[in-house]
Amino acid sequence: MTGTPALVLAGLSKHFGRPAVDGLDLTVGRGEFYALLGPNGAGKTTTLRMVAGLVAPDGGRIEVLGIDLAADPAAAKRRIAYLPDEPMLYGKLKPVEYLEFVAGLWGIDGKVAAPRARELLAWLDLEQHAHELTEGFSRGMKQKLALAGALIHAPELLILDEPLTGLDAGAARQVKDLLLAHVAGGGTVILTTHILEVAERLAQRIGIIQHGRLIAQGTLDELRVAMPGATLEEMFLRLTGPA
Amino acid sequence: MNLGVNLRPGSTSWLLRHELRLFWYTTVAAGKAGAPRRPNWRVLGGGLLAWAGLHVGVFFLLRELGPGAGALPHQFVVAASAMLLTTFLFMLSSALKASVETLFERGDMDLLLSSPLPSRSIFGVKLAGMALGVAGLYLFFLAPFAHVGLLLGQLRWVAIYPVLCAMALLAASIAMLLTLMLVRLLGARRTRVVAQVLGALAGAFLFLLSQAGTLVSQEDGPAPSAIARVMAAAQSLDPQSLLLLPARAALGEAGPVAAIAALGLLAAVLTVRLTHQFFVHGLQQAASSERAPKRTGPVRYRFERSLVALIIVKEWRLVRRDPHLISQVLLQLLYLLPLCLLVFRKDELQLPAIAGGLTMLCGSLSASLSWIILLAEDAPDLLQTAPAQSRTVRMAKLAAAVTPVFTLVVLPLLWLTVRSPLAGAVTAATVCGAVLSAALVNLWTGRPTPRGEFKNRGKRSIATVLLELCSLLAWAGLALLLPRALGTAPVGIALAGMLGATAAIAVGTVPLAWLLRHRVR
Repeated sequence: MTGTPALVLAGLSKHFGRPAVDGLDLTVGRGEFYALLGPNGAGKTTTLRMVAGLVAPDGGRIEVLGIDLAADPAAAKRRIAYLPDEPMLYGKLKPVEYLEFVAGLWGIDGKVAAPRARELLAWLDLEQHAHELTEGFSRGMKQKLALAGALIHAPELLILDEPLTGLDAGAARQVKDLLLAHVAGGGTVILTTHILEVAERLAQRIGIIQHGRLIAQGTLDELRVAMPGATLEEMFLRLTGPA
Repeated sequence: MNLGVNLRPGSTSWLLRHELRLFWYTTVAAGKAGAPRRPNWRVLGGGLLAWAGLHVGVFFLLRELGPGAGALPHQFVVAASAMLLTTFLFMLSSALKASVETLFERGDMDLLLSSPLPSRSIFGVKLAGMALGVAGLYLFFLAPFAHVGLLLGQLRWVAIYPVLCAMALLAASIAMLLTLMLVRLLGARRTRVVAQVLGALAGAFLFLLSQAGTLVSQEDGPAPSAIARVMAAAQSLDPQSLLLLPARAALGEAGPVAAIAALGLLAAVLTVRLTHQFFVHGLQQAASSERAPKRTGPVRYRFERSLVALIIVKEWRLVRRDPHLISQVLLQLLYLLPLCLLVFRKDELQLPAIAGGLTMLCGSLSASLSWIILLAEDAPDLLQTAPAQSRTVRMAKLAAAVTPVFTLVVLPLLWLTVRSPLAGAVTAATVCGAVLSAALVNLWTGRPTPRGEFKNRGKRSIATVLLELCSLLAWAGLALLLPRALGTAPVGIALAGMLGATAAIAVGTVPLAWLLRHRVR
């Protein structure tokens, strides 16, 4: 972890009738691959949506790469990308048209964006589908295109909500490779997943969240200190299971 | 909705009860997404109150008409025939839309078809559901005649029930057969659009017929409409003519009632028996029709557009590539067509009406496009997570919504201006006012909705609907009144008053929409 953290959440809270996120404190360093785990309804998605600027927090502070999200949302958004579990696509656009639009939204110069789009489509095996509308794409193709859209502006912080759900082995491998390459290039990745094996294999640090609060955090080895010999699944179930 | 009847699970009547329950949920008990399915008591109460009012009105009407035993006057039968024809065309229009929905929007069709229920039962119940939906509106307005007739001892009016139900069954059968035939002939991809266009044409048929005489006439001055000619010809029909059979049935003649009811039932039974397998085949085709034919060739990477240009191009692409949506929106142009043709004729007497009509239609088209472009955003989260200024995005979308309307109307406006500079200038101003007002009302008071919900635009907030309607009517009214006022000196008090009130409403709706912008959503 060097310099300003990629993400700082301090006392973050959000209520939807009941607390969804309840005074969450979390720091993720630059260049880190961080997995946020938790049972359904634990507050993972709400947390990520607050970081992406889609939901306003009721309390607390969000700092993205040293920028206070509330004070300068545009500056923060320029440096992050958010990929929800349901890809944000337009069914009636073709892949290149979609990437062109996303690049425009992030104000990326055409001379930079065009080769990047070509590179991403080739990397994700979507070039052969360039003339098709995305409405006809499979779940995996849609997810890959959305990922290409998220990466078109070379974000420093990439936030992904369940990026591997519903993908076949090939597509999942491509997405995982792309995420690892992003981190290897100095970027930061924060993802939520229910596939514990993904967190176990990819993440440098893991956070477990329940009832909107962080109940455990650390590397896999650090987490194992409290439960020697346990797998991540066993640790997760013990931590989040009924008391 | 509990009908209190124990039916054997999997039977046709059990499935019919399920269909009725869905009908109940989507009409009377329709609430916000995620809200509990309870009857909307305000809507239900308002509807019942209006229905009671209709009964009272009909009571006085029928009491005035008296028992009228024996044969009714021939003119009365001809007028009833015209009304029934109109009703049937509207029923057919609704039924075509419903059949497209059943085939392409599917709803619970995948679940039903994957169950062991026989396809004949599924098709039969779906057809009955369509007929019920089609008949509902007309029964609401016409059933009071049957009820009050029964009360007053005028039993002939009770025939409205079997006749309307038979007409609905016939319309549903024809619509479903036509849609399935189109699937076989054109394939599922094109059928969706063609069937929708046919549905709209059926609805607009009488309007187009009424304009036909004027359009084909080469002479100046009002030409007799095709409808007037048809009505004149109908007067000379033999009273026992088969063409008058539906009207005689609706007016209570026992033989014709039985014949019409039998016709409706027979059509439905034959449709179900003979085409239930093709119905399943049509559903399967519709489910695999979404992908366009594959194209090849070099990919063009054009990334040099500005954000505003990108948004406009993106919105136009989305509309252009959605034939289902575009067919619904641009069918409004069907009504614009006769008006445009009138503009190019020499007759000056109808200029105010043309100006009013053009204003109304352009405003209406702008309202539809604004809804699609401004409110029916497929990826709202993408726009919200982007650093692009939301104001820039909204303005670009506004431009994308109004530009096609202005492009379409520019030629008729120019021609109108050449013929009558005053009328042209006034119409240009009112068209601009109506188009921009409709767009701004949607921008400020509209509720974001998924694009697929276009047919449910009626479920918008009451404020949006009222503001849009007031704005459209006021701008059209101004287009009608202004040329008259400008051509008259001095302007009478009544005209000046009407003009002032209309102008105030037209100009006032936009600031009102702005004031309501946070409350309505």
